[in-house]
Amino acid sequence: MMTYRELRQQAEQTWQAVESPPRPRIAVGITTCSRAVGADETLEAIRQEVSRRGLEVDVAVTGCWGLCYAEPMVEIAKPNGSRILYQRVTAERVPQLVEDALASEKGVCHELALAALSPQPVDGVQPLASLDFMAVQEERRLMANCGVIEPENIDHYIARGGYEGLSKALNMPQEEVLWEISDAGAGLWGRGGAAFPTARKWEFLRDAKGEPKYMVGNADEGDPGSFVNRTLMESDPHCIIEGMIIGAYCTGASHGYIYLREEYPLCLERMELALRQARERGLLGQNILGSGLSYDMEIVRGAGSYVCGEETGLISSIEDARGMPKIRPPFPAQAGVFAKPTNVNNVETYANVPLILRHGAAWYASVGTDDNTGTKMFSLSGHIQRVGVLEVPFGTPVRRLVYDAAGGPPEGRSLKAIQPGGPLGGIIHANDVDLPLEPEPFREKGALLGSGGLVIFDDSACIVDMCLYFEWFAEDESCGRCTTCRAGTQRMVEILRRIANGGGRPSDLGLLRLLADAMRYANCAHGQAAPTAVMNSIEAFLDEFQEHIEHKRCPAKVCRGLIRYEITGESPDLPEAAAICPTAAIVQRDGEHTIDQGLCIKCDACRELAPTAVQVVDAFA
Amino acid sequence: MTDTTKDSPDLEQLLADLKPDNADLLAVLHRIQEAYGHVPAQAIPLLAEKLHTTPAMIYGAITFYSEIRREPPARTTISWCSGPACRLKGSENIRRALEAVLGIGLEESTADKAVGLHLVQCDGTCALAPLIRLNGRPKGPLTVSEAIRLARELKEKGG
Repeated sequence: MMTYRELRQQAEQTWQAVESPPRPRIAVGITTCSRAVGADETLEAIRQEVSRRGLEVDVAVTGCWGLCYAEPMVEIAKPNGSRILYQRVTAERVPQLVEDALASEKGVCHELALAALSPQPVDGVQPLASLDFMAVQEERRLMANCGVIEPENIDHYIARGGYEGLSKALNMPQEEVLWEISDAGAGLWGRGGAAFPTARKWEFLRDAKGEPKYMVGNADEGDPGSFVNRTLMESDPHCIIEGMIIGAYCTGASHGYIYLREEYPLCLERMELALRQARERGLLGQNILGSGLSYDMEIVRGAGSYVCGEETGLISSIEDARGMPKIRPPFPAQAGVFAKPTNVNNVETYANVPLILRHGAAWYASVGTDDNTGTKMFSLSGHIQRVGVLEVPFGTPVRRLVYDAAGGPPEGRSLKAIQPGGPLGGIIHANDVDLPLEPEPFREKGALLGSGGLVIFDDSACIVDMCLYFEWFAEDESCGRCTTCRAGTQRMVEILRRIANGGGRPSDLGLLRLLADAMRYANCAHGQAAPTAVMNSIEAFLDEFQEHIEHKRCPAKVCRGLIRYEITGESPDLPEAAAICPTAAIVQRDGEHTIDQGLCIKCDACRELAPTAVQVVDAFA
Repeated sequence: MTDTTKDSPDLEQLLADLKPDNADLLAVLHRIQEAYGHVPAQAIPLLAEKLHTTPAMIYGAITFYSEIRREPPARTTISWCSGPACRLKGSENIRRALEAVLGIGLEESTADKAVGLHLVQCDGTCALAPLIRLNGRPKGPLTVSEAIRLARELKEKGG
């Protein structure tokens, strides 16, 4: 068996070839985001172009920098030290990229260049840190390897300090490792949404009676609009595994599960590979790194259920059953997987642990705020100019992410609201855009900071429609066990739907509040938090609700029951608009086009094609 | 995708290493679905026996998970993303148009099994919003008229 020192030396040799490449190296970021815009084709085109030209270069696969908006991204490193990141390299742009960047040693493809991966500009290409999206991220800790290393190569992880935290931990008493993570030390708390102190949770497992004990990683990132766990698993899978092994060491767990959602096939592939590589290196299995610790783990692939992200639902799902949450107590530490002591943490929580062990609690706590130390990953989507994933210290104002990093709403639009923490996390008003990103200020607003998804709404969004969406989601994903949640979400959807359809009653807001009060007694967090967005919105956007209910008007012209499509002018595009209509609702009478309101399904296709002739008007004006 | 029941491995073979209390059910459901395109009803009593439980419990689990199918999928599946970024950018318009053109609702297939509509949850490819997946392949940002043309074309050529 190799010692950590030997593993590290071997890994550093491999990494040397990346740091100082003997010949040019082209690395394509292959992730879910980049694949969606053709990165697989880009990689194939690069391989072909390189072989067609007979170039002496290496082609590699890396992970994700978090700049979803710039995918597919390609890094070209050269022996002379130049290292440039190119953006939007689709397959058809590959010949141009290879021609410009590789024809000569100093060549740069300026048209596609995004940034230089060096502190200094390269031939006019500015450093990565100068990009607006990166400038808000002073230091990447969790994401330090994202985009940088090859996620399918364990040596890259080890060479950059991976498994050093584990090696250190194994040479410390368990008590000391727990202290490093605890509130007295680093102050790590759970990233899944509940913000419970991690070391305390681990102590519960350590002190629990019963064998075997289980460590579980929650990678069921089900909050729509959250993709931070995905980024981590696709780009740096070992940091999660290392954190879980350290957890096993502290708690006496002998087996682990990572519960991974169905929607992330590439994560599954990379996590499986990472587990195999860790086993081969003696980092999992019997007598890990010669320490006497024995621990191994496997992946359980979900099958499309949001509520399996709730820890007791997740446990049910591992137990070969419907993924229905259970009433606590007993807590998982007493009776978890197969009724044995179990600890469940979000995978991002585990990813913090190796860093704390490697750099120390003081280093960890040197960023963030007094109560919330360290950094957090966030994903940004919705009405913004730059979609992506980033990492900032706790306490960073939301504004910096929405405006500085993401570029704010599209031109001509203004910010209306922000939805943090998934569909159960609530909605905050644009006026609160200066809130610091930490749990307490969000809680004061009746919202949840949650696991890291931030969805941005501009003024084209209708709050009633988005509330209907969030409540529909909660209803659709309710496990159905407790009537409070099952019927509560159904009733809320019915009320919101009638408001959106023009049948809203003055008593409806009171009814929604009453339901929300009752739903606090649901069995699990799913039902308890389901009314959050509606309750926030009734407060922050009361006018908009009243406008829907009292005046039967949707100011954003989104709610179907309150709008009508009309042809208000002539346009040469009208025949095309009539032809596209899926219900043939555009008819010609006396040479004039009109819309048969009985047939129109308000899908907007005609207005898309004939914007000057078709208008959306208030149905009850 | 078509029903490949005939040339698939024997069900019993797929279940050979299944053990109770070993977190095996989801893995084997995926395995069966990959082999057959869906989880056929005859798998239920076999699973129950292997896992020392009742067919009702297995049936309950199968129906709980939205990605486990009990029927073979249509030749072409249009997966419609239900996520918030897509919603903000008009995915409801796309859904209505697709349903109208195909004459089916979500989780249904056309009578000739050519095209099916499936609701999927957000996988974070929000830079492409609003998007759909055509047999798993993302397409976006999609306009409503593009969605209509696509659905018409699929309907005409039979998936």
